[in-house]
Amino acid sequence: MKQDNLTLLSEFLHKRENIDPARVTPETSLEELKVDSLLLLELLFEFEDKLGVAIPHDIPPPKTVGDLLGIVDGLKVGKDA
Amino acid sequence: MASARRVAVTGLGLVNPFGGDLADFFGRMLRGESAVRLFTRKDEVTRPLAVPAVRCANFDAEAALGRSLPYTMDRYSQLGTTAALSAWRDAGLPATKDAPRNDWGVSWGTALGGTLTFENGYFDLLRNGRERVPPLSVVLGMSNAAASHISIQLGLGASCATYSVACASSAVAIGEALSKFRSGEVTLMVVGGSEAPLSYGVVRAWEAMRILALGDEASAARACRPFSSDRQGLVLGEGAGAMILEDWDHAVRRGARIYAEFAGCGSTSDHDHLVRPNADGQMRAMRMAIQDGGLAPEDIDYINAHGTATREGDPIEIAAIRGVFGSRSGAVAVSATKSMHGHMLGASGVIEAIITVLSLASQEAPPTAHLDDLDRECTGVRHVTGGSLRGSLRAALSNSFAFGGSNTVLAFRAVH
Repeated sequence: MKQDNLTLLSEFLHKRENIDPARVTPETSLEELKVDSLLLLELLFEFEDKLGVAIPHDIPPPKTVGDLLGIVDGLKVGKDA
Repeated sequence: MASARRVAVTGLGLVNPFGGDLADFFGRMLRGESAVRLFTRKDEVTRPLAVPAVRCANFDAEAALGRSLPYTMDRYSQLGTTAALSAWRDAGLPATKDAPRNDWGVSWGTALGGTLTFENGYFDLLRNGRERVPPLSVVLGMSNAAASHISIQLGLGASCATYSVACASSAVAIGEALSKFRSGEVTLMVVGGSEAPLSYGVVRAWEAMRILALGDEASAARACRPFSSDRQGLVLGEGAGAMILEDWDHAVRRGARIYAEFAGCGSTSDHDHLVRPNADGQMRAMRMAIQDGGLAPEDIDYINAHGTATREGDPIEIAAIRGVFGSRSGAVAVSATKSMHGHMLGASGVIEAIITVLSLASQEAPPTAHLDDLDRECTGVRHVTGGSLRGSLRAALSNSFAFGGSNTVLAFRAVH
């Protein structure tokens, strides 16, 4: 688990949904954090933007913060990241 | 022909450029105060905008809707949902969603929908060198987004429809709701419209039609002068308005305050020209609204005119009013409040309907601002100028005549 990515996620959720960063742990379910399908799209976009990565369209839908970070952590970071 | 099922107006709400509440807004209308200011917008690339316009500069989406919701909305939805929630509170309806509301719905109007979202997307792609646009662009930009947000926020399960009929959009939305009451399909409807048109592209497009009023810091407030001999065109504005329409018996049973009765509606098409209005089409719409409301021309004491202050449009509307009211035209009070709140395109119909309803409720109608020199082509009616008109106002019309030749007239009746 890359700590930077967890921070990026918790900062985004704090800014957008006023969610306490302490609640955002790898075990937390995305549903519990009120991450619906639209917010997930925004999160994926945010990761792509900030990290310079391309997240494939056919990823399995993540259920927890850890699932989501697992997808992001595994990607090759682009040269303009 | 009048229906047995009557419709009450029990709640009013808006987001307006003065930044105050409903009473504040209507008070300013009665005093003839203009909300038009010089609107400027500039960045490093685009030629700067500097036109008289109406902007809701004090609108705070987060204060009105909370932190999360505004992110999922184009500005036109933020304005619209805020107006709807305000009307809901004004009607004394409960904030909770406990009871099923499957015979309560939304009927909304917007001419341009999420045009600011589209423009931002094009900027990203074509100017900022980005390869993609934000992932919520579709749901921000879609023209039914405001209506759907209102339905979701208030738990309304009946029809949720959006009408896009240019400058008559929200008038059409209000009119379409009437038939749903009469058929028994609905008991309560949130109706209205919202518009946020102050993008570069939209302002430039209206400029190119050569019908935008010009002005600078000093002259902007007086830029829109309907029926005046020196009128020079319209002023674009952003804003939103909402009304709660309610089955009369339902409103009476719950002890709701009834502002006025929404009595009738008339909709016609000029079938003639895209932008040149036609007095015959407008006359047919006014007559239809009067008849539909079980009224006679003699019952109409006030007309909130479409009155955009274009050279061509104003005399045609006055000719149409003269045609409908004949020898009584001189007794019918007429004012064009776009002189103060500007032309909010798809939201104009509801803003003017709200003004019409409040005029009946208070027995006081606002003036046309800046009408010092009446155009000879616009004479023959009782223009309200200088200040408000107090008097017996039994029934009133609100005219909305759209580009494309679509005319909608709403008829309201006073309750006292």
